[in-house]
Amino acid sequence: MHIPDNYLSPSTCAAFGVVMIPVWKRTVAKVKKEITKKKMPMLGICSAFSFLIMMFNLPLPGGSTGHAVGAALIAILLGPYAATISVTIALVIQALFFSDGGILAIGANCFNMAFVMPFSAYYIYNFTRKMFRGKKGEKVAVLLAGYISLNLAAFCAAIEFGIQPILFKDATGAAMYCPYGLSAAIPSMVGSHLLVAGLIEAFVTLGVYSYVKKVDPNFIYQGSEVKSKPMYGLLIGMIVLCPIGLLATGTAWGEWAPEEVKDLVGFIPKGMEKGFNFNSIMPDYSMAGLSEAASYIISALAGVAIILIIFKILNSRRNRV
Amino acid sequence: MFEKDEYIPKEDKVKFIDKSILAFLNILSVMKRKTSLGNGYVYSLNPVVKLGFTILIIIFLSLSRNFLFIWTVNVYLFLLLASLNGEKIKDILKVSIIVPIFTLVILIPSILAGNKLNSMMMLSKILGTIIAINMVSYTTRWTHLTKALKLMHIPDIFILVFDITLKYIYILGEFSLEMLYALKLRSVGVNNKKYGSITGIIGSLFLKSKDMAEEMYSAMECRGFSGEYSSNIKFKYTFKDFIYCILNILIIVLYFYIGRM
Repeated sequence: MHIPDNYLSPSTCAAFGVVMIPVWKRTVAKVKKEITKKKMPMLGICSAFSFLIMMFNLPLPGGSTGHAVGAALIAILLGPYAATISVTIALVIQALFFSDGGILAIGANCFNMAFVMPFSAYYIYNFTRKMFRGKKGEKVAVLLAGYISLNLAAFCAAIEFGIQPILFKDATGAAMYCPYGLSAAIPSMVGSHLLVAGLIEAFVTLGVYSYVKKVDPNFIYQGSEVKSKPMYGLLIGMIVLCPIGLLATGTAWGEWAPEEVKDLVGFIPKGMEKGFNFNSIMPDYSMAGLSEAASYIISALAGVAIILIIFKILNSRRNRV
Repeated sequence: MFEKDEYIPKEDKVKFIDKSILAFLNILSVMKRKTSLGNGYVYSLNPVVKLGFTILIIIFLSLSRNFLFIWTVNVYLFLLLASLNGEKIKDILKVSIIVPIFTLVILIPSILAGNKLNSMMMLSKILGTIIAINMVSYTTRWTHLTKALKLMHIPDIFILVFDITLKYIYILGEFSLEMLYALKLRSVGVNNKKYGSITGIIGSLFLKSKDMAEEMYSAMECRGFSGEYSSNIKFKYTFKDFIYCILNILIIVLYFYIGRM
């Protein structure tokens, strides 16, 4: 997921650099308060740790191997602010000394892996742990934190790639930087992370977390009482961003209607033609009399409400038992 | 007991351990090589000047839309590369070629769809950028490079953190390498617990890092560390730097003449 230079336009890189400055400022201030200025050098060792996590290869089906990013793990073990700083330092060292990821793209890479990933992981972890109490809930929380945060980071990278051909074209209309739009970048980036990299991240995060918890439980970060507000902020942000899906031409990967399958494959699979056309309450996320973007947002809200209701019902049943 | 035992362990998949070991060995060897640098024009340049102009060149390369400018810069970088010794050139080319090849593979559909010019431009820019940054990394002491970061208004305490990170990547890297060797030696035949062991190794690494951090902090405090740290840049500017500056300023001027198109 390390974006090299020249895949993104210089202006995109500059924009992400500007976005990251207040993030770095705030995290440095927060970390200074939490661990005092004197102990700052200890961050160096944490950064070394976050650099080295990426060196461990794990087997994948089919004989190849992959590695975890580790930002979710560090966020849970050391807190999201320390994670932002240590992953940033690890990324800068990779870009500057190992030419892994671009120099100009440092802002974008840090945004994906040192900001979106640790913070989303930390909030998902705390939020889920509150929802499901008990030991199993903790495990689920760690797994979800690793899995979802990596996919969110990949999604951000996909959007960064995908907006390039929309925003930057030469006189003939050909793309100047990464040539693939959202409709190609999102399925290929997110698809591979949903299926493979996300699982590795979740597995490593859970494995290491359980190990550390067993050997020395005092070492796990105990932040101030986490407010669920940022989690709701994240949810609202995602809901508002939902209509980005409209920018992508065609339907989402794997969500074809039977007619579209015909266009793609040349025939309608028999099973799909009959029976299996299940009418959802909001077919294709659109409702009569509403603009497409608005109905997207409303559908997303409905989805969130349904998920919250299911979670709360499950939780209350667990408490009664 | 005295009978000879014919035990042939069953084959097991250990590829991921080997790959991890290789990844660590690679990092450690790259870092070790940094302590012995060669002699030559590019080596003797002032790190601040070198890093500053390299980043400027990368920025202008990325901004430019002109093939003539991009290839002038690339040729200039190749000439600088040619002034190094053979081993170094081989090393730099070896690590620099991966990203352009990867990019080419990714761009094939777009090239076939007719977007040839821009794809070639992107590839040329990527090649130049990667060679420029690898040349800096391979010809400069890393501690000097971190000091040169002061140029970008990075606070002194962070330069200290950078230095500590680099040192501990080496120390902790050696530590994890030993654990990986131990895992490999102890897994004779089929061992189904290997996957769990990798996360165990990462976990031990975390605990070890925490211990080392505490120890280092105590050691620093004993020696009077109070949280203040100032790194001074004391690099000499020589005639070579002057020539290097002139060359780079010429390239930047060239950008404003032809590169902007």
